[in-house]
Amino acid sequence: MTPGKTDSESSTYRPYGTDIKEQRPYSPCRAACPAHTDVQAYVGLIAQGRYTEAFEVITAPNPIASVCSMICHHPCEQACRRCIIDEPLAIRHLKRFAIEQAAEYRKRRRKAVEKTRGKSVAIIGSGPSGLTAANDLAGSGYSVTIYERHPVLGGMLAAAIPPYRLPREVLQEDIDDVIAKGVEVRTNTEVGRDVTLGELKDRHDAVLIAVGLRRSRPLNIPGADSPGVLLAIPFLEDIAFGRKPPVGNRVLVIGGGNVAMDVARSARRLGVKEVSMVCLESAEEMPAWKWEIDEAIEEGIKINNRWGPRAVRREGNRVLGLDVVRVTSVFDMDGRFNPSFDENETAFIEADTIIVTIGQMTDLSLIEGSGVKVDERGRIEWNPDTQMSSVEGIFLSGEVVTGPGSAIAAVANGHRAALAIHLYLEGEEIAGKLPAQEREKIDRMPPEVVERIERQPRIPIRHLAPEVRCGTFEHFEMGYDEEEALKEAGRCRGCGGGAVVDQRKCMACLTCQRICPYGAPVVQAYSTIRPEYCQACGLCAPECPAQAISMASYDVEEIRRSMCETVGEKPREGTQPVIVAFLCTHHVGVHGFRVPEGVRAVPVHCTSRVDVLDILKAFECGADGVAVVRCGVGKCKYRGTGNRVRSRIERAGELLASAGVDRQRTALLVAEGTDGDSYYSVCSDFLDTIRKMGVR
Amino acid sequence: MIVGSQKPIDEIWEMVRDFGRVLVFGCNTCIAVCHAGGGKEAETIASLIRMRAAQEGMDMEVNHSSVMRHCEPEYFEPVMEELRRYDLILSTACGVGVNFLSERIGKIPVYPGVNTSFFGGVPEPGVFEELCAGCGDCILHMTGGICPVARCAKTLMNGPCGGTNNGKCEISQDIDCAWYLIVKRMTELGTLEKLSEVIPPRKWSTARDGGPRRVSVEHIREYEEKEESKTETAGGEK
Repeated sequence: MTPGKTDSESSTYRPYGTDIKEQRPYSPCRAACPAHTDVQAYVGLIAQGRYTEAFEVITAPNPIASVCSMICHHPCEQACRRCIIDEPLAIRHLKRFAIEQAAEYRKRRRKAVEKTRGKSVAIIGSGPSGLTAANDLAGSGYSVTIYERHPVLGGMLAAAIPPYRLPREVLQEDIDDVIAKGVEVRTNTEVGRDVTLGELKDRHDAVLIAVGLRRSRPLNIPGADSPGVLLAIPFLEDIAFGRKPPVGNRVLVIGGGNVAMDVARSARRLGVKEVSMVCLESAEEMPAWKWEIDEAIEEGIKINNRWGPRAVRREGNRVLGLDVVRVTSVFDMDGRFNPSFDENETAFIEADTIIVTIGQMTDLSLIEGSGVKVDERGRIEWNPDTQMSSVEGIFLSGEVVTGPGSAIAAVANGHRAALAIHLYLEGEEIAGKLPAQEREKIDRMPPEVVERIERQPRIPIRHLAPEVRCGTFEHFEMGYDEEEALKEAGRCRGCGGGAVVDQRKCMACLTCQRICPYGAPVVQAYSTIRPEYCQACGLCAPECPAQAISMASYDVEEIRRSMCETVGEKPREGTQPVIVAFLCTHHVGVHGFRVPEGVRAVPVHCTSRVDVLDILKAFECGADGVAVVRCGVGKCKYRGTGNRVRSRIERAGELLASAGVDRQRTALLVAEGTDGDSYYSVCSDFLDTIRKMGVR
Repeated sequence: MIVGSQKPIDEIWEMVRDFGRVLVFGCNTCIAVCHAGGGKEAETIASLIRMRAAQEGMDMEVNHSSVMRHCEPEYFEPVMEELRRYDLILSTACGVGVNFLSERIGKIPVYPGVNTSFFGGVPEPGVFEELCAGCGDCILHMTGGICPVARCAKTLMNGPCGGTNNGKCEISQDIDCAWYLIVKRMTELGTLEKLSEVIPPRKWSTARDGGPRRVSVEHIREYEEKEESKTETAGGEK
């Protein structure tokens, strides 16, 4: 693969190693992602400056990738194996960077998909799950119509997530990708009001209900019926659509989840100076993500932990505040939500406006009269094995059936629903054919490997200062610049992208076991390279005498296969030499690689992947010199590779001499600095040396 | 295992220079373990030949390929047709492989890309040591597990000779005296007195001196030679 290959719009892009990786345990990041995004692949592509390819990997399983690049709770990062070394990789932020780099390519990529199936599907709701199903079904040739009650698509992403977290133009990019496939859109169309479910069932061959949980759960305490007590979803809808909700000077938010954070932080941005929150849970027990809590506190929001609401105190219609009682515990012995209180310890929290954010529920009005059954707890009945409701041909996906969850989990469920609908429309059995969510993943990194890995702090993500961001609904997080992104991507340990042995070729010679700096290979009848040890440095593959080792993350023969193209036509006359320089990208990425004229740069993630055969091939293709430029001693991403690389270059020199080429034409160079200039200067010096020797 | 080392490229070049299409054909067993002629080294040699050809302005097609073993026909039968596209096969198998392929490939010459040296072990990575001479009549139980046939320069059966020199052989300070090692080892084992018995003259006809050798495993041959058994064999054509 060469950069820009994705520009050819002929076929679907599949990163190298896709099939290999499917046969093996997933990297923990990928296993943790509900949509199983191949994180290792796209972070690796970013590190090589191959942004459009990274974008393809990101968007393949996730049609709301831009959204996720802003708001995902990134279970991938929580699972990152760097967590036990120092800090997890900033995966979500790298995703954002890659998507931003591919903006132009993305627009060019959009195209309608021919409707070849002759069948149509109605999708009710255009949140993460509905959009995903629409994307999958339209992408495979079905006619798809989305019915959305709001004037814009996106479901809660458009109607509830505050714009300071998710700029609407970002959401629109995702929506435009889906719509471009030829999806028909009916906005301002509420099923149950403007059209019935029965009518949709008649009009289409299948119907998917993906309406999410669109009603706020009310709080049944005395005084809660005051006009000064608001519910979260209508409040957030007001914000989302640019209406100013009626709030006083002191706002109290009841709840400790992520929606409560959105509400409280939005209230701050409406100009409310005094925003406080009250929740049953202690600071550690709060369901909101820790970073949301930290950011809210930075914005001056006060959180009252372990208090339970008892009554809204009011004077007429005017709210005075909330009477609360001390919570002694939130969960019972079985870990179930079952709060208990100490009625003797009470308090009063003053407020003009109270916003209730204690959860959401399904709005059942759309299924009225359709025959779709509801269970005894008021939830729509469904079969998780088929994603179908009690009525044949009516399917369900997303939070309406899974309960509250993340956007990316709704995406995963949307894929399942789309596959279920496809099977149904093909007349096939559905049960047993929908993919399992759980995937086997690579084990924890063993301590002996952890201690061999260099500590390298995460590149910080910059935010607008709290006092600035509270004055606006503008997005408050700043993206990485290229240098930052390349550095951060370089922190990835390549889990799941490492060495793979072809058992048919391996003759158990022990070479890999002897040279691996991390003790990954174990040789018995053949070598097995343990993925929990392997760091994907690539040192072993060029050493294998039977060429039985390949890498899951790159094609070990790619460099030499494209070498003649890399060297290019040498100048026909004159004495300007051409040298090939293999450059370690670890510290500067591709960002700093400005090389002198006459130098053909071949960026590599580590010089340990450079094969003697790559060097020979460069000379075969007409190069006058070959430099392998490694990073400074002690700065290598991997341990114990330097001497091995040196001995390869020495061997290449000997072989070249035996073929009549001066061995001085190949050299191992060290760029001591961690900037592009030091690579430039060593290449430049080497070019001078070759110039003195003359062209071949 | 069989140990060998790559021939110098100059020698190889002289062998191959007159052929238009050359395949460097590696063997991925013993000769790969000693980093002389597996798939990897076959590719390396092919690259060097192409470079040499380009320097001398000669138009040659030089490719590389390898299979698991060159000493049993089933391994290269699947590639035989491909091999016949070439004017020359430069085999980087041991000498066994060169002979073996030569007898089966028809009119195409098979030349050696490696010098096959001995049967040896790998005491440490990159070092290969001769430990057995394949004499056909093993006496290691009488010499503490150390072979005087392979490891004594004179193949003495009742050593050491007068050339032993502080544990080294008179021919080189780099070579251990096998009989010194035998005495040391047998002392360690408490069996030194066994050496007081003179080992009688050997029948060398079991070694190379008796001409080319052949081992036939009777129970297998007996079965293989029955006509009906051939139809039962699922292991491919012979």
